[in-house]
This record gives sequence, structure tokens and C-alpha cells, in this order.
Amino acid sequence: MISESLALGQRAITKWLRNPFAVVAALLQAIFWLVLFGNSFNPANALSPSPLGGGSLGIFQQTFGGAVNYITFLTPGVIGIVSLTTMSFMGVDVVLDRISGYVDTLSTYPIPRSSIYFGAVLQNIAKAMAAITFVLALVVPNGLRLAGSFGFVDLLGVLLVFALLSAVFSGLFTGIAISVKSVDSFFAAVNFLTFPIMFTSTALFPISFFPSWMKPFAQASPVSLASNAARLLIVNGSLSSSQAASFAGEIAGLALYGVLFALLGILLARRALRPR
Amino acid sequence: MNTQSAKAVQVESLTKVYPPSTRAVDGVTFSVDEGEIFGLLGPNGAGKTTIMRILATLASITKGRAMVAGHDVSKEPAAVRSIIGVVPQEVTLDNELKGTENLLLSAKLHHVPKDVALERARELLRLVELESAGEMRVSTYSGGMKRRLQLTTALIHKPKIVFLDEPTVGLDIQTRTRIWDYLQQLNRDGLTIFMTTHYLEEADLLSRRVAIVDHGRIIVSGSPAELKESLHGDILTIEFADGGSDFTSFLERMDGVSQVTRVGDSYRLKLPKLETALPSIISSITAKGLKIRETSFTKPTMDQVFLEVTGRSMRDAEEPRSNGHTPSAPVAKDVTSA
Repeated sequence: MISESLALGQRAITKWLRNPFAVVAALLQAIFWLVLFGNSFNPANALSPSPLGGGSLGIFQQTFGGAVNYITFLTPGVIGIVSLTTMSFMGVDVVLDRISGYVDTLSTYPIPRSSIYFGAVLQNIAKAMAAITFVLALVVPNGLRLAGSFGFVDLLGVLLVFALLSAVFSGLFTGIAISVKSVDSFFAAVNFLTFPIMFTSTALFPISFFPSWMKPFAQASPVSLASNAARLLIVNGSLSSSQAASFAGEIAGLALYGVLFALLGILLARRALRPR
Repeated sequence: MNTQSAKAVQVESLTKVYPPSTRAVDGVTFSVDEGEIFGLLGPNGAGKTTIMRILATLASITKGRAMVAGHDVSKEPAAVRSIIGVVPQEVTLDNELKGTENLLLSAKLHHVPKDVALERARELLRLVELESAGEMRVSTYSGGMKRRLQLTTALIHKPKIVFLDEPTVGLDIQTRTRIWDYLQQLNRDGLTIFMTTHYLEEADLLSRRVAIVDHGRIIVSGSPAELKESLHGDILTIEFADGGSDFTSFLERMDGVSQVTRVGDSYRLKLPKLETALPSIISSITAKGLKIRETSFTKPTMDQVFLEVTGRSMRDAEEPRSNGHTPSAPVAKDVTSA
């Protein structure tokens, strides 16, 4: 199954790289988010000049998980949102492959049906990682303040967090894409799901900003788990043992979501692709 | 494998009902020998594609059984998929990939080792005259080029049997002829070919055996020559100068005429032995003082076979139907003596 999934994944990546518009759009989306949201919604604007006089950075850091500025807080959240939106919209490729009959042709090949699903998931993760790496490379010299002890291992940690998050969302949306029969139904499902997932998370604001009824949802959101985990590394570099424990918990949570959605996706794929 | 291993395809009482009650295939039985080209002929909507989708493991069976090379398509779909090649009616290539890339992807998914695949890709592209286009993106191909490339993607793993759904529909006559040539060449090399078509001449020219399907049933099957012979004779069409009167009974009484059908002002005479009947027919007509405006003579065609067994011409049968199934459809008959 692995070699077939990789072959199908490679096909999609080749297609993507040959379509510069798709690549540029995926990369620029994150930048728009950071520039527009980072400036217009920056809560530090409201804190400055501070009513407490000179202590605004302290209050800000306290509220925003130790981040020294909003961009530093926002970047992991925006990357989480980019993962969500990229993975949801890229699911449409599977819908188009079904409509064109490409999936039918693949279904006459001696390959496991789940490799059609995993091929799509794998290539989506690869595309997301390309976009995410690009955002990080751009934002580090432009306002993101990494902890002094932030090293290569921490960078790998951040990338792992977002690879997992992309796996979660690609697993979910590819599963949906493979079970619907039209582009319209797919985007209806995408619109229905992405906004609640996006705004019920700590991607843009810390958990203290949420009313108490929303807090459990925001805490359990995969976007929150990923944003919080990445923030821990970005803000602190080397983690204390309690920080490491919460990082591990967040990674485990993401992995659990990943496994659950992958299972759901395989079920949906098997059901959708069985002879009828 | 079992005793039916000599049959490339064996279909018994195959029925497919799409909910709630559309009988797309209605108790079909036929078999395809190894190494033959078998044509499933019928108008659009007759059930041909559904039969092919069942054999290609894409559609489920409501009742009956279908075997491909001795493997039951419902119970051993994986075994079936490893020995078949499928060419769907619509082109399903990846437009953004190059011709060779499409071909090599198919090879990889059929577990063909890379060096073997490269060699085979070269051979196949040569066969379908696309060697120089292999490195071009498929989006730049013409419709005919795409169809030819699609054919090669179904052959890269050397399948035992290839299923072609309307292989030349919508193509110009030159491209069709070329595809027919490739198929004949592949068949000479031992490939079993199962194809659906609604082109009578395609079935006639390529198939060793043909089954005519209408309303989900096989109405008649046999070799094109047998089917045409079963019409018992050639057709002489006569149009008289005096269009007002009916000469049917006059013509029916003539020696050597087995059947007369009036179509407008002209009469279609079925003549079991045209060579001996023609002189006496002409002299009788002349003796009666009748003037012939026009005559024509045709050897039996598959179109006439279709007309004979369905009561409609193929063109009429293509008209949309109000109901998916006609209960009074004729019962299947096999003109082969076997």
C-alpha cells in the first residue's frame, strides 16, 4: 500500500509544481493572514500606551503565553489556520478525480483502495509543509521573536507539530471529498466546518479571551493543540519539564486526532469506492 | 482457477438492477474465448457499459455470476484486477502529466519493474504512433492522441484481457481505423479483447464474435458472418415508377423471394439465392408491364441483423426511451451451432 500511495502522491505533487498559480496562492495566503490580521487585530495596539504605565509588555506576555509581540503569538496560529484551509481546499482534487473517472480507472488497478485515500493525504501534507516552511522562513526575519535557545531540534519540533496537524485535516477533508459526488457538496462541507474550527481555537487569541462555554471546545481543538505546542517551542526554546509534559500531551492529542480521522477516512473511502 | 479457465469471460444469468427498479442488465449469459475479440453491440443505454463495469470490478452484481479468467469478479476482485486492462469511454488521463509519465504511473500501480516498464512504454508508444509525443503534456494532445495513450495505459502490464468501452466513439474515421489496426495487431499477439460498441461496422470488422444487446438482454450472438447469414439472403430493393399501387402480394408470389417488406414507395425483397432469383423477378415485372424507377442490392449488414432481431434500426434505438425496460423484448437466441 505504501508504494502505491507514494506513487499517487508523487503524481499530485508533480501536477501542483507545474501549476505555479496554485503554489503561489498557497504560499501567499499565509502572508496575507499575518500581515493583515497581525496588524489590524494586534491586541498590543489596545494596550499601548498602557494604563499601568510601562508595564504593558509584562501584561501582554502574561496574557499571550510569554510571546513578546503579537506576531510571535500569531504565527503558529496562522500556520495552523493555513494548514486547515489549505488541507480543506486541496481536498477538491479528489472530488475532481472522482468526477472525471480517474478514481474509477484507479479502482480497476490491483492496488488497495485505501492507497487512493492515503496518496491524497500524503501529497496534501507535503504541499502544506512547503507552504509552512516558506512562512517560517519569511516571518523569522520580519518580527517573529524566537527564544534565544531555539535550535534546530526545536525547528524540527515545530515542523512535526504542523505535519501532524496537516495530517489531521487532510485525513478529515480527503475522507469527506472521497464520499461526496460534487464540488458544490464538498465546498458546502468545507465552509460548514472550517469557520467553527478556525474561530473555536487559540490560533488568534489566547484561551483567556474565550467565554467559559467556549473554553472546552477551544482547548480541545486540534488547531489549539498545534498552536500551543508550537508556541511553547518558539517562545521558550528549551522546555522545562512541565512545558515538555504539556508539549507531549499536545502532540499525543494531535496524533490521536490523526489516527481517528485516518480511520474515518479509510472507512469513507472504502464505502465510497466499493462496487455498487 | 477451475475448469472454465479456457474462457476469458464467463457470464451466467447476470442481472443488474439499479434502485429502485431500473433493470440495466437482465439475465445475460455469454462467454468469451481466450484470444478472441468479442464485441458487445447495442444502442446507447442497452446495458453494455454496465456489463463491462461489472466485469471490470467497478459495479456489483444483483443476481447471477461473472468470471474473468476463472476468477469470480465479486469474490476475487483483486485477482481479476491484476490480469485485466480497462479502457473507459471517457479519457481518464492526467492532463498535467506527460504521456510517458501517465504510462509509467500506470506501470508502477500495476507493479511493473521500472526497467521493464520503460521498455514496454517505448514499445506501446511506438505501436500507437505517439513516440514523439511521449514527453509532451497530455493537455496538449488531441482527442485521438489521448484515446491512443489511454489504450496504452491499459496495456503496460501485459494484461490477459482488455476491456474497451466504446474505444472509438467520437473519433474521426482515420483515427478509428488506426485504433482498429492497433487492436487487431494486439489480438494477433494473443490479447483477448472485450469491447462494447454501438458502431455496427466496428463490431463487424473487428469481432470474431458479437452479442447484440438491447434493453439489458442479449438478443442474438454469433460471428458477424453467421449473424448476417442468419438473415437468409441478400436484399433487393425495388422502387416502381407507379408509386400509387401496392405490389407486395405480387412480389411475394414470385419464385426465389422469401420475404417482402414495403418501405414507403420501395420494396425490400429478401432473396436466399439472388443469382438465380434475379432474372425471373425482372422478367415477371417486365411481363406485367411495370416500370422500375430504381433498384439497389445489398449484402446483409449488421444493421439489418439489428433491425431483424429488435424490430428497430440502430438509429431508432438510440432515441431516448421512456422506460428502462421493455418486458416484451425478444428472447435470446444463439445462431452458433455449438
